[in-house]
Amino acid sequence: MESCAQKKKFLAKDYKSDLKPIWCPGCGDYTVLNAITRALAEMALPPEEVAVVSGIGCSSRIPAYTSVYGFHGVHGRALPVATGLKLARPDLTVLVTGGDGDGFSIGGNHFLHACRRNVDLTYIVMDNQVYGMTKGQASPTTAPDWEGSKLTPEGTGINPFQPLVVGLASGANFIARVSSSDPVNMAQIMVEAIRHPGFSLVQVLSPCVTFRPEQQEWRDIVRTAVVDYTDDAARAARRLMTDDGFNVGKVLYKGSRPPYRPEFENTDGSIGELEARFAL
Amino acid sequence: MSEGSTQDQPINSLGVLLAHALAMETDAAERYGELADQMEMHRKADVAGIFRRLAKAEQKHLDELEEMCAEMDLPHIAPWDFKWGGESPEAIAVDRVSYQMSVKGAVLLALHHEKLAYGFYSHVANQTSDGEVRRLARQFADEELQHVAWLEEWRDKCGPDDEKPFDDPDPPLSQE
Repeated sequence: MESCAQKKKFLAKDYKSDLKPIWCPGCGDYTVLNAITRALAEMALPPEEVAVVSGIGCSSRIPAYTSVYGFHGVHGRALPVATGLKLARPDLTVLVTGGDGDGFSIGGNHFLHACRRNVDLTYIVMDNQVYGMTKGQASPTTAPDWEGSKLTPEGTGINPFQPLVVGLASGANFIARVSSSDPVNMAQIMVEAIRHPGFSLVQVLSPCVTFRPEQQEWRDIVRTAVVDYTDDAARAARRLMTDDGFNVGKVLYKGSRPPYRPEFENTDGSIGELEARFAL
Repeated sequence: MSEGSTQDQPINSLGVLLAHALAMETDAAERYGELADQMEMHRKADVAGIFRRLAKAEQKHLDELEEMCAEMDLPHIAPWDFKWGGESPEAIAVDRVSYQMSVKGAVLLALHHEKLAYGFYSHVANQTSDGEVRRLARQFADEELQHVAWLEEWRDKCGPDDEKPFDDPDPPLSQE
């Protein structure tokens, strides 16, 4: 007898692997994993039609915890791998997951150009303002006065990287910020991000409970953004100029720039023909 | 748009109630199981045992519920359209746990969420105009009350050692 739950095409648990996450209890990344699986189930995407690509870091472990195709890549290089995958297999839904260090420092340059190219990817960045896997050093998004690391005992003294501002300026086609304390809202935003054509950037405020325990207060600090999304990049930029980083739960910007989808010519598999095109 | 998307309206359909109940019991069984896995991963056997026992109890509820509605065509409700808004009442928020949490802390957290589940079903029963929905919602609320009673008993049995957060002799250190 088929149970009523089984009548649904896919359940969230269908997108989880048998591997148990080793994140610290309380880590925001657990809820991101749950939000991703909920979003995929809601979209009824067959697991074999989805790929998750990541770099290095705690949050980059996500592909191993899913049942979809996964690629755990090189530090900071998730976006180039995902770009190649999407261009070669446009039929796949490609998600990219990682942290603030992986995405904005080691992979910072790739981030700029992924936004600029506007390939149809969804980039989910779990931002905890610290390098957690290497035991708590300041990351690109760390506040200048954070003194929690012995490497920067007086703080970095450098203004933090602004992912949404840079993403918008570089051409990202969809921009949102969510909080890991609201996984259901996060799943809803992820569905929108995946469905929106082009490069979608979702910044998740995801506390590191071990090396930034004070971030547990984020759940009480974040507030639902009061305005709905705009399709006007200049207006979105003005909103970001007065943003303190804790407006969450709504899409900020939805652009209409067409995604980069190069047409591949049929070369009949002839290597010689390809070589001739690039001959000097 | 699904019927369940109007969050401030009472539930007057058996299908909508069962769709909510299925989602809540699924979330609870999975969440308790995930928390048990997390605690086992961090060698916190006592706290893991609490969550594992609750996961099994919720799975039993879920199995019974699935059997009850096996032949029914339930409405589809998106996760963000359920009446409770946000996460389902019985699912402990992932960011409320810690590897150092005490046995009593885990019991109290679970107790809080079982009470929320009881409150949800009671609210449905009090608001609905449908007799069958009221009867079933009261039955579900009574089942949640059994978990509440069980956890209250567990809470009352907790000794001083159960109230202490687990000491970590080798805590994570920032880079020296």
